[in-house]
Amino acid sequence: MSERRLAISELTVAAAGRAELDCFSLAIDAGETVVLLGEAGCGKEAVMRVLAGAPGEAVSGTLQYGGAQPERAVKIGRTPLRTVYLPSVPAQPLSPHASVASQLIRAIARKLGAPRATARAEFALALERLEGAPPLSAFDKTPAALPRESLAWGLFAAAFAQTPELVLADHALSGLAPTQARQLARALLAEQKRQGFAILYAAMNTQVAAWLGGRVLVMRHGKIVEEGPIARLATAQAHAYTQTFFKAVASASPAYGAPRASGRGQPVLQAYGVECARASAKRPGDGLTFELRRGASLALLGEDGSGRSALVRVLLGLDRPRAGRVVLDAVDVGILAEKMLLRLRRRVAMIAGADDLLDPRMTLWDTVSEPLRAHLKLSRELVANYRDSALKRVGLASLPGDCAVRDLSAFDKRRLQVARAIVGAPLLAVIDEPLRGLDAFAQSVMCDLLRNFRAQEGPAFLVITSDFAVAQALCEEAMVFKDGRVIERGLLADLVRAPKEAQTKALIEATLLPSP
Amino acid sequence: MRAILRAFGFAGLGVIAVIVGLNNVLARLPADTPHAGDALSPPSPQFPFGTDLFGRDVASEVLHGLAVTVGHAGVAMLVTIVMGGALGFVAVRFPLRAGTPLRWLAGVLGSVPPLFLAILMIGLTSRDFAAEAAGLAAAPLAFTRAFDRSRSLARSRHSEFARATGIPMTTLLRRDLIYEIRDNFLSTAARSLAAVTITLATVSFFGFGASPPRRDLGLMIAAARESYFDAWWTAAFPALALMAFILCARLAASLDEGEQP
Repeated sequence: MSERRLAISELTVAAAGRAELDCFSLAIDAGETVVLLGEAGCGKEAVMRVLAGAPGEAVSGTLQYGGAQPERAVKIGRTPLRTVYLPSVPAQPLSPHASVASQLIRAIARKLGAPRATARAEFALALERLEGAPPLSAFDKTPAALPRESLAWGLFAAAFAQTPELVLADHALSGLAPTQARQLARALLAEQKRQGFAILYAAMNTQVAAWLGGRVLVMRHGKIVEEGPIARLATAQAHAYTQTFFKAVASASPAYGAPRASGRGQPVLQAYGVECARASAKRPGDGLTFELRRGASLALLGEDGSGRSALVRVLLGLDRPRAGRVVLDAVDVGILAEKMLLRLRRRVAMIAGADDLLDPRMTLWDTVSEPLRAHLKLSRELVANYRDSALKRVGLASLPGDCAVRDLSAFDKRRLQVARAIVGAPLLAVIDEPLRGLDAFAQSVMCDLLRNFRAQEGPAFLVITSDFAVAQALCEEAMVFKDGRVIERGLLADLVRAPKEAQTKALIEATLLPSP
Repeated sequence: MRAILRAFGFAGLGVIAVIVGLNNVLARLPADTPHAGDALSPPSPQFPFGTDLFGRDVASEVLHGLAVTVGHAGVAMLVTIVMGGALGFVAVRFPLRAGTPLRWLAGVLGSVPPLFLAILMIGLTSRDFAAEAAGLAAAPLAFTRAFDRSRSLARSRHSEFARATGIPMTTLLRRDLIYEIRDNFLSTAARSLAAVTITLATVSFFGFGASPPRRDLGLMIAAARESYFDAWWTAAFPALALMAFILCARLAASLDEGEQP
């Protein structure tokens, strides 16, 4: 019988007059993996908070660490169990002013009660053990100067270097490209096998649960509504909420996407032998040529840093290409002055997974109205009509119009971007990782909104993603990027059925759920 | 805590503004009235702040001096905000990167102490322009600060996103200006007020600023140099009034680099 690591009994947490956890009980054994699965606010965050030692207000229930006596959750200070909190990169867990290495080494030293030099050596060893992790020297930078995936490797290695007995992974793989996330999930499981720690993972969607395996607890309103292995939950749900949850997961999948004929209408975007200055040097004449017609869709698939965003910047005339020609709406972008380019870009909309693309100071109404005010001489009433209609379509009409963007949730910001895109009636919509970091329900809603936007306004979709499922849900064709170069292209259905390149296969595998 | 300090600062500035507005009512005697009492009389019920070397009522003089100082500081602050802050904010968006040489020039001028710049400009014009000179002397630092802030906004992801969807530069500039004024104007103005007041008072103390009969607090402290060791009240009360004004301005700016404009 495995050693009991943690037993949570009748844990109730209330904040701002609302029950976040309602008589929550859970036991975790050594070497066990437990995934708390649910939408934002289902209570998994409260579990993490209590176990991380910040219970907040109105807490009752007991926590029992290892063989120790149960303690009231509210009084937990230093736990008898070596517990490590593993946050996600988008949560920005590190100070922006100091180097990543110094911060992580300090955390390891404090946890182990060891000198800095020892902690540094432990950190370096942990990094060496992790296949694909950058070397220690790569972390002598501030968090903003490090790529997202490198930072994630650092956080994981620091957690492993603390020789934990329990790892509290709070959406630790959130915001990462699927291939990177999968690699980190493998590393987590490998370290678990090596060190024997228990994992408690808070997840928003099923993908992570599928990678980690173990016990999945579906949570809602602070309670566990269903429990079991992911393979069973994915196919046979007992609880109505679990059914709804997995239905939402499925609705963001390609089966729900109504395929449209590609290549209809006039060309919106044409690229002839385009080479990006930011991409690594290639053979001469290795430029990219493609055409995107009105109403068509194209996914640019690849890892972060594979050259997709650099290509989009060139396509929109934000950067000059090293070679080649870009024609946007029948106008050669390369010969236009900045002023004319701005006029041309009026017909372009952007929707991105990054939450800093909207001015945080602006209000909800101003954000949606700005393109109308800037581009068209419309009366106030007309602007208000378009604005209200767009906000209604994305489900934000009930929010106060003077609400600042900084006060909105990530999901609301994404929907606001869609509303802003709708009022612009664009010819081309550039959509960059639109579902990253959202829970299953929010992903489902975003997918529906984007499909609806495409069906009603008819823009061409240029989707940048590392997730084949997202590409399949929104596009018909795709180009797979690696190291700034297109390695494979064609209809998405063909790519999924018979991928030729190893990179394509890796991207597909990273988004597949395991068979039951 | 910062909000409380700011509230105290603005409340203090409000009280000072009322005192300045009513200085002719609150002061017992008109400005620069000699022989109101015996020379160098200590504080007493008749003269709460005592009298100076010429028998002037120090309390009345402090009230009039505060009005002059606040008036000059207000003018100087406006000059700093317009020629430094506003120009620096807009200069980033000048075509053909014309703002960059200006930023370089402001950086060079900003490395010179504002006091020297102010004295130089007064020398080139006249002491009647002391307020404008103090404002201009503080403008380079305000320019660099506003320029850098505006540049970070112009390079932000949300600005790039807006440009990628065709939002014109003028719209972005207007947007940034509106939000900057709404969010930061009061603290910027308060910071500038503190900085130019220090410069103005020092300029006057050295005799390059205000001239009789319109004496400001700096000039009053300078005039009390000869009598200070025998009659502390002649310099202490003007200095306290000056300190109170600068402290309120710095509190209103959340104690944020009070010496910087």
